[in-house]
Amino acid sequence: MRVVIAEDQVLLREGLARLFEDAGHDVVAAVADADRLRGAVSEHEPDLAVIDIRMPPTFTDEGIRAARWIRDAHADVGVLLLSQHVESAGAVELIAQGRFGYLLKDRVLDVAEFLDAAERVAKGGSALDPKVVASLVGGEADGLGVLTDREREVLALMAEGLTNNGIARRLVLTERTVEGHVRNVLMKLDLPESDDAHRRVLAVIAYLRAAEAH
Amino acid sequence: MRVRWIAPWLAVGLTVAGVAFGVVLNDLAGSHGEDSWTAVAWAAAALASSGVGLVLATRRAGNPIGWLLLANGLVLTVHYVATPYADYAVLAEPDALPGGEWAVLIHERAWPTLFICVAAIALVFPDGRLPSPRWRRVAILATVSFAGLTVVSLLAAERYSEKFDHVSSPLPELSEAVVGLPFVLFGLGALASLVAAALALRVRMKRASLVERLQLRWLGYAAMLVPAAVVTSVVEGAVTGGDGAATVIATTLALTLIPIAIGVAVMRYRLYDIDRLINRTLVYVLLTAGLAAVFAAVSLSLGVAIGSGSTLATAAGTLAVALVFGPLRSRAQVLVDRRFDRARYEGLRRIGRFLEDLRSGRAAPEAIGQVMAEATGDPSLELFFWLPAEQLHVDASGRAVNQLPDTDRARTPVNRGQLHLATVVHDPRLAERPDLLDSVIEGAGLAIEIGRLRVEVRRRLAEVEESRARIVTAGYEERRRLERDIHDGAQQRLVSIGLALRHVQARLPEGSPEAAELDTTVTVVSEAIEELRELARGVRPAGLDDGLAPALRQLASRASLPTRVDATDDRFDDGLETAAYFVASEALANAAKHARATRVDLTAARRDGWLVVSVSDDGVGGARPSEGSGLAGMTDRVAALGGRLDVESPPGAGTTVTAELPCAS
Repeated sequence: MRVVIAEDQVLLREGLARLFEDAGHDVVAAVADADRLRGAVSEHEPDLAVIDIRMPPTFTDEGIRAARWIRDAHADVGVLLLSQHVESAGAVELIAQGRFGYLLKDRVLDVAEFLDAAERVAKGGSALDPKVVASLVGGEADGLGVLTDREREVLALMAEGLTNNGIARRLVLTERTVEGHVRNVLMKLDLPESDDAHRRVLAVIAYLRAAEAH
Repeated sequence: MRVRWIAPWLAVGLTVAGVAFGVVLNDLAGSHGEDSWTAVAWAAAALASSGVGLVLATRRAGNPIGWLLLANGLVLTVHYVATPYADYAVLAEPDALPGGEWAVLIHERAWPTLFICVAAIALVFPDGRLPSPRWRRVAILATVSFAGLTVVSLLAAERYSEKFDHVSSPLPELSEAVVGLPFVLFGLGALASLVAAALALRVRMKRASLVERLQLRWLGYAAMLVPAAVVTSVVEGAVTGGDGAATVIATTLALTLIPIAIGVAVMRYRLYDIDRLINRTLVYVLLTAGLAAVFAAVSLSLGVAIGSGSTLATAAGTLAVALVFGPLRSRAQVLVDRRFDRARYEGLRRIGRFLEDLRSGRAAPEAIGQVMAEATGDPSLELFFWLPAEQLHVDASGRAVNQLPDTDRARTPVNRGQLHLATVVHDPRLAERPDLLDSVIEGAGLAIEIGRLRVEVRRRLAEVEESRARIVTAGYEERRRLERDIHDGAQQRLVSIGLALRHVQARLPEGSPEAAELDTTVTVVSEAIEELRELARGVRPAGLDDGLAPALRQLASRASLPTRVDATDDRFDDGLETAAYFVASEALANAAKHARATRVDLTAARRDGWLVVSVSDDGVGGARPSEGSGLAGMTDRVAALGGRLDVESPPGAGTTVTAELPCAS
């Protein structure tokens, strides 16, 4: 996997680069701001761009704007946004187009799961941080009351972008059991059934956001 | 230059010498001489005219009035000397002096010259110019008429008065048939010019500026003395059967005061307050007359009742006078003000009404500027309060005025004791009536002081409110900075450390004790990061960067109670959004802790320029703001931003916390 990293803090940038290299990936560029990121993406056409949301000069949403640009200009490049906290509704909207992930920065310390998510995005899947999902599932989204606790858990992991297999491993269940839960969730929420993890994420997110906005 | 100095002094010298010469001659003429009072009056008039002429001609050489007065003094002197000269040289000691027949001629036939200077002065008073170029014709008519009339009068074969009937004129004498018609024509012309000169004064009075009106008033005041002198003379004549001391004094006074009044009018009209002088004169004349009447009435009627000459009657009269003095004086003042100084009277009445309204609460003291504009009749008048603490002027609404209006404006300070209260900016012409402006300012003094204090207090209060809002906003800004520092500083650094540890771990054989230890350490680091994140959110939720609605939704998603959010997507000032967020957060926490609620409704909406945030639960109610100490703090913060916080919590019916914050819509 060929990776471009955009992160303004030197230590973190180098740490991220080493993390990908240790796992056998190829870090083709590590840059400190959004402009150089655009240059690097155009030059290298990587599989994945790992982007810090807050970057110079204003430290607000440079990363999100760069991510949108990549979506438009280089649709095949996976985008993984990193943030210090759950922020920017703008980031969540990007998920609808696939090849997109949004994780909190400290997820990188859980190396295996982080790399798993990164690879999933690079291959065209999704990765949504559990905290982001929690902020969507929490509150009082209409209709979730019909789900059991276990089904809620499964729904959250579906929203994170995990496959049935991934969910089964995370919850230490058999894949068949997970399939059953997934079917129940989709049925109760009246969502289209699909084996495609990404389309499933979209459906779930769309549902949650609609419920929230209600 | 020299002539300007020499000529006036020369004229005055001649006048003084002439008067002295005339006095001596009159003395020498003995029984043929004139009455002494006539001589005194003539001498006084000549000297006064000449003296004032000297002052004006040397100080205001450009104004012909000074020269005309000097000339008038000389003319009067010539006439004054001619009479005793004729008395002495023709009657008392014939042929003791030469030219007695000329003196008789002047005494008998040169009378038209007496009016020339007077008419000229009337035409050009007070600025030395004709009222308008069209008046030049009048001036020419006057010159021709008086010159002609003088010549004709000197040449006319008219009989001398009885005393000098035997003297013949040194000039050729023309018969009635020859001079009759010219005499009538020139006479009519001269009369017309005198009437025109009087008319000129009237014309000027009508279109006069305040200054000129004041100048004319001086002349008018002095001129009033002439009829007074005539009346005095008539009265004295009726009483004593002849002219006596009163007539002499009155006439001399009138003839002396007119040139003096002219001088004052031209030079020092600002120095003396003629209006007040007239005003006071009238008041005291009225007062004296009134008191005299009271005294006479009381003592006379009592005298009739208990016998005349009684000291009791006199005492009662005196008492009555003492009693009515005060009321009568103010009545007389009001009467005179109303009749003779309408503007001041009305102005003070307007101020008086305003003060009445002020006392009864119908008017605000700040309106005093407007009232003063009405009272002085200067609609452009503006009053600016002076704030010594800030060293600046403010208008009635408290707005600072760095530059007082100064084009074509005059300023008059308002002081109370040593304290400078305000500045009145007004039409410069108002300064020409200082009595009006001064009495209006004096009358309005208290209202000005109160108005100034109120404006000052209001400004201070606004300042304090602003600074309070600034402090709260600065506090929120500080929170934002702190939150950034935590996220971008400590938290990032911890992530870097964790990554470095993972890197080391990757090189260790799997399952080794060191690797396990590093695992534990990274977990601790992760926990530290999570704690920092919670800390940062408590300082200021990062979600606020996206707006109030997303932040409130995040807040609701973490709440322990099911919370429904209905928030506007509008954006507001950062300070407002932050305050609204913390109100919601505090109210939610209270609902979770104390209300035993099962659900919470959280709304944020824009209503008529207000951001209204409301949190209602279905709990037990009965909450008081003092109990929720967090809410008490929020009340202050909301108030600091100009809003209000309301807690409605009837027992058993849930609690609703509503914060209203002003937002520029």
